[in-house]
Amino acid sequence: MALIEIRDLVKEYDGRQVLAGVNLDLCEGDLKVVMGPSGCGKTTLLRCLNRLVDPTSGSIRVRGEEVTRPGVDVRALRQSIGFVFQQFALYRHLTVLDNVTLGLRKLRGMGPAQAHEKAAYELSRLDMAAHHDKYPAQISGGQKQRVASARALAMDPTVIVFDEPTSALDPIMSREVASMIERLNADRVTMLCVTHDLQLARHLPDRIVYLEQGRVRAEGSFADLAQDCPDAQVRTFFQHAGATA
Amino acid sequence: MSNWGSFQRDLLEQMPLILDGLVRTLQLTAVISVTGLLMGVLVFYLTLSPQAAVKRLTQAYISFFVGMPLIVLLFLMYYGLPQWGLRPSPFVVAAVGFTLNVGAYNAAYLTTAYNGLDHSELEAARAQGFSPHQVFRFITLPQVLRLSVPALTNQVIGNLKDSSVAFLIQYTELFARIQELASTNFQFFKAYCLAALVYLALVSVIVLAARALERRVAMPGLRSA
Repeated sequence: MALIEIRDLVKEYDGRQVLAGVNLDLCEGDLKVVMGPSGCGKTTLLRCLNRLVDPTSGSIRVRGEEVTRPGVDVRALRQSIGFVFQQFALYRHLTVLDNVTLGLRKLRGMGPAQAHEKAAYELSRLDMAAHHDKYPAQISGGQKQRVASARALAMDPTVIVFDEPTSALDPIMSREVASMIERLNADRVTMLCVTHDLQLARHLPDRIVYLEQGRVRAEGSFADLAQDCPDAQVRTFFQHAGATA
Repeated sequence: MSNWGSFQRDLLEQMPLILDGLVRTLQLTAVISVTGLLMGVLVFYLTLSPQAAVKRLTQAYISFFVGMPLIVLLFLMYYGLPQWGLRPSPFVVAAVGFTLNVGAYNAAYLTTAYNGLDHSELEAARAQGFSPHQVFRFITLPQVLRLSVPALTNQVIGNLKDSSVAFLIQYTELFARIQELASTNFQFFKAYCLAALVYLALVSVIVLAARALERRVAMPGLRSA
């Protein structure tokens, strides 16, 4: 059984369909990359997943439990889905360490020492231990991305979702983020990554879901989609990355 | 010289009363600064309510108390309430009146700082599973308070200076005592210069403390409003 099953997911804003019946499965340890042109519904899909927005219809099951029905504990759901934002969204008044421990102490009820230990482990896993006492404004974009990821990982989520993790970064830092995601994938962390960065998608080993006009238009490995996809438009989209690599 | 001599003599004679007035000024300033801040935080919290009626009420509160002259509010309470059988002491009237007024200003400062926040942090906190109250307590409030330090400390200075208005409702604070000194020897210029110097000295202490506080709470990447 898939860890996350999304079925016929529809989201409308003012009568306009942003998601028009998305179907997607994510199994334990999977890394799936959701791609597509701007406005195709990638970010909305992620935001429906942890109920930052409520879908209009359709179903999302996390470990078999329907999470779109009324009465679901939305806060518990959100704690089980680590969300890494496009602009990192680190808490500027807290140090790197406190950014990671805040959720552990206030949501998980850990004591300071236990939260510190857990945060230190996640930060060192992402090579950020040396920066634990710095503030977000004192670290680079790539480092902020790693702290945001450590903050999400520390909560032991079912899945981590990345929303355009490289859009605010230069190519070198983007490569750093790709390596970090690869490492987490090797550790069997389940991840869903939304991006329009073809270079990032190319470096990530697992499956790519191509979304267009709110629907999944194709799914497969980067090579499959670039060479063997029957849909010419999808092939062109992915071949462009090969040409520019 | 004889004028100076008599002024100094009267000043020394009335020094215990003037010091008592100074203590009362400091007491009132301290109380209204704390209660005004708490009221400001409460009103600011309510302005973030998702309920439109609560929002409208808090905005009306801010508009009303920012728009109403403080002296009118104090007179309304001190001279008006006895007609309804309530006779609060001058200190209570001053404390309540100033709190309502200062709370409205502080709420406005905090709201301004809130508008300058990076709202993606608040969304990240919600996405992490924090409740709206927790987002306010752990993310919003610490940041808006830091951003508002200059405005809030200016308000404390304003509180100190405005506390002199309380002498009009029989609260015998510093300025009331200086008035008494002036009316004893009719040396108004000297008496009011003395008052000005004392207020200036007190304000200078607050300014120094405010700067130290600003440095202490300043965070990299956070600029005060």
